[in-house]
Amino acid sequence: MRKLISTKENTWCTGCGNFGLFAAVRKSIQMLHEAGTPMADIVMSAGIGCHGKIFDYLEISGIYGLHGRALATASGVKLANPQLKVLVFGGDGDSLGEGLEHTLFAAKRNMDITLILHNNGNYGLTTGQASPLSIKGFKGLTTPMGNVERPFTPVTLMMEAGASFVGRSYTARIEHLSQMIFQAVNHPGFSFVEVLQPCVSYNNTYQLYNEHCQIMSEIPESEEKARSLAKSADPIYLGIYHQEEIPVYHQQIQDGGASLTRAQRLALLKS
Amino acid sequence: MSSKIYNVLIGGKAGEGVKKAAQVIADLAVKHGQYIFQTDDYQSLIRGGHNFSLLSISDERTYNTYAKADLIVSFDQRSILRHLEDMAEGALHFCNEGDSEDARVIPLPLSALMKEHYQGPAHISLSAVAIFAALCGISLSALQEIIKAEFRRQVDENIAYAAAIYALIKERYPQGQRSLAANPDLPAKNYTGNQAIALGAYAGGLDYYYGYPMTPASSILHYLAKMRDTHGVYAIHAESELAAINMAIGSAFAGRRSAVGSSGGGFALMQEGFSLAGMVEAPLLCILSSRPGPATGASTYTGQEDLYFALNQGHGEFARIVASPDSFERAFSLAAELLDLAWECQSPAILLTEKQLSESMINLNLPVDDLHPPLSDEAKYTEPYERYALTESGISPLKFPGAGNCAEDDIIKWNSNEHVESGVRTDTAFTIVAMRDKRNRKYESIVKATQKYQRIARYGQGEKLVFAYGSTALELREAQKYLPFRLVVPIYLEPFPFEELSEYQGAEAIVVEHASHPNFARFLKEKLNVKIKTNILRYDGRHFHTEELIQKLKEAFDA
Repeated sequence: MRKLISTKENTWCTGCGNFGLFAAVRKSIQMLHEAGTPMADIVMSAGIGCHGKIFDYLEISGIYGLHGRALATASGVKLANPQLKVLVFGGDGDSLGEGLEHTLFAAKRNMDITLILHNNGNYGLTTGQASPLSIKGFKGLTTPMGNVERPFTPVTLMMEAGASFVGRSYTARIEHLSQMIFQAVNHPGFSFVEVLQPCVSYNNTYQLYNEHCQIMSEIPESEEKARSLAKSADPIYLGIYHQEEIPVYHQQIQDGGASLTRAQRLALLKS
Repeated sequence: MSSKIYNVLIGGKAGEGVKKAAQVIADLAVKHGQYIFQTDDYQSLIRGGHNFSLLSISDERTYNTYAKADLIVSFDQRSILRHLEDMAEGALHFCNEGDSEDARVIPLPLSALMKEHYQGPAHISLSAVAIFAALCGISLSALQEIIKAEFRRQVDENIAYAAAIYALIKERYPQGQRSLAANPDLPAKNYTGNQAIALGAYAGGLDYYYGYPMTPASSILHYLAKMRDTHGVYAIHAESELAAINMAIGSAFAGRRSAVGSSGGGFALMQEGFSLAGMVEAPLLCILSSRPGPATGASTYTGQEDLYFALNQGHGEFARIVASPDSFERAFSLAAELLDLAWECQSPAILLTEKQLSESMINLNLPVDDLHPPLSDEAKYTEPYERYALTESGISPLKFPGAGNCAEDDIIKWNSNEHVESGVRTDTAFTIVAMRDKRNRKYESIVKATQKYQRIARYGQGEKLVFAYGSTALELREAQKYLPFRLVVPIYLEPFPFEELSEYQGAEAIVVEHASHPNFARFLKEKLNVKIKTNILRYDGRHFHTEELIQKLKEAFDA
């Protein structure tokens, strides 16, 4: 198996949660490869933000798209070649702010791709503004007196939008996270993994997560239960909240056949 | 005006089947060996208001409508009043009994006959078809056949109702109004401009079309959606235009030909993605069908305000192709060409058109056999593969992800950030310049690539020189039947076809366009230093009727 780390200088802050996430992703890709997925079939897309830098560090093919649009780009990739395993990296500002519509619709359609949400609770790369997941009272550059908005709960939001696989993990639980990404990518349909990711510069949540995170022993038996566990602040539950097999978007609209040749097309137009 | 052309106007409320009636009349005329041209004037509403359809029927190709109609059928009072002045000499203007006391209109017992023949909902639009058939020497059986095919609900009632109207007209007008000569071998199928664009793009290899409904581009999305199971093309109604263009770029990355389409507002939303296509060097066809703006503007009308918007689409510096079809045939061939060019040059291409072409309809043989053959896709790769290899042409070889498309260890990275050859991000000053220069070299490659296609069109003879682009050329070609002048139409707008147009450098010309600012005239001044004698501008959302345009041209010629 080829190396997955590029030679590009890594510029995440020392101690950034993204390092744990990066390690877990590499581990899951290795697992996918060992389970029989060709490396050529694994592609990614990323938005813009600290999370997006993973595009340069991870040696797999893909599109480093626009802020917020990575899921739309990835949807187009998947439709054009359903054999590809498509991993999408998004930040909380990126995927739940600028690009919320694409996130909700990828889930609604049950598009067979995986969104890995780097939840650092703020906009890191633009030096610390409140994000859609910042807690009430968060003091950032745009909320110097404290954030008055309430954060989304990504797990319940995505369950409501129709994601057929919804999980949460933490960058400091690399084994748990890599297993979850592996399962998410193998899940047929839209899979969503919220990754709790401390931002050492603007929102250092290591102590909070280390003290309060607790891994669930099983998938909650009902959606109601899942919702209440997802909203719990203490403990913060990690694990798969929801998983179901429902029809996948591309399989319902296309046969996955090859593109017709010019001659075949012209013959059809003449008939 | 020409006695050869028979002009029909059907008017009524939205929901009464005005457009449908005109389409079925057009079908009947085409089946009887005629050329047709149809334009619909409708509003952005579902019920009520005033809609009307204009149909020109002729032994020779017709490119536009006329203000004066020979046959008018008004389904309501508003239509009668609106179109009293639109009657040609000897015109017959029919309406429902009780709708008007005006001596110029001819009341028919449409409602009474509907009551007699329908139990439930009735189709007043059928009456227009029956009136036309009876006045134009079309047999009752031909009328019944088309009604069966086109009006699928209440078939028996429809047939009885249409037969009653037909008999009534035959009785009152035994000589009829016009006999349609059955010209052999005329095109038998009707297409709107949007259908021609959709089919041209399909011929050019389109697999995925992404859009969001916006008049007058929506019908491309609708038409392609219906072709899924028969033609293997996928039309996807995305959550927004933002999604649509990013999805299309994703599909291109995976190796499939894709396109997007919208009108000005939706295209404004796609600017960011258009710029992405410039940066990642995505081959992408974008269809911009204009209507009057700004903002929501006049949704269902025509305009040419978006010339510079198309030319300058997207932020940042990068090459693009912009071209505008001047005919229905060109709508087909240009869509295929632009998709080929987008892939040859790995650049975004815009097909710029207007409601007047998008939604008007003619009978047409698609120029399927005139298309250039597809390009061979032999690419020379360096090892290891580098997406943005610095080449002389500025075009780097494309590879696509997926086992079977690329080697196991190929890394194919498209990057919206400035990047090095491998596709990894960079901020290095030296590389920013090298990559910008590489992309800039594509301008010259695009010029060369477009030269194999017809980039301008010339029509007619005469002393006076007239410039136009897009569907305005159709209006002018109809006017040429009555007034001699030379019409020159740049099909390609960017890159500008200097070679073909060099003879017009500094020439004196009249410029016709549908905008309040003479944008196209300014463009010609910039490119060719054309001396503008007169700008003929129309910006009320309507196309020029032939008579009106002739008048304007005469004034301009005599000035």
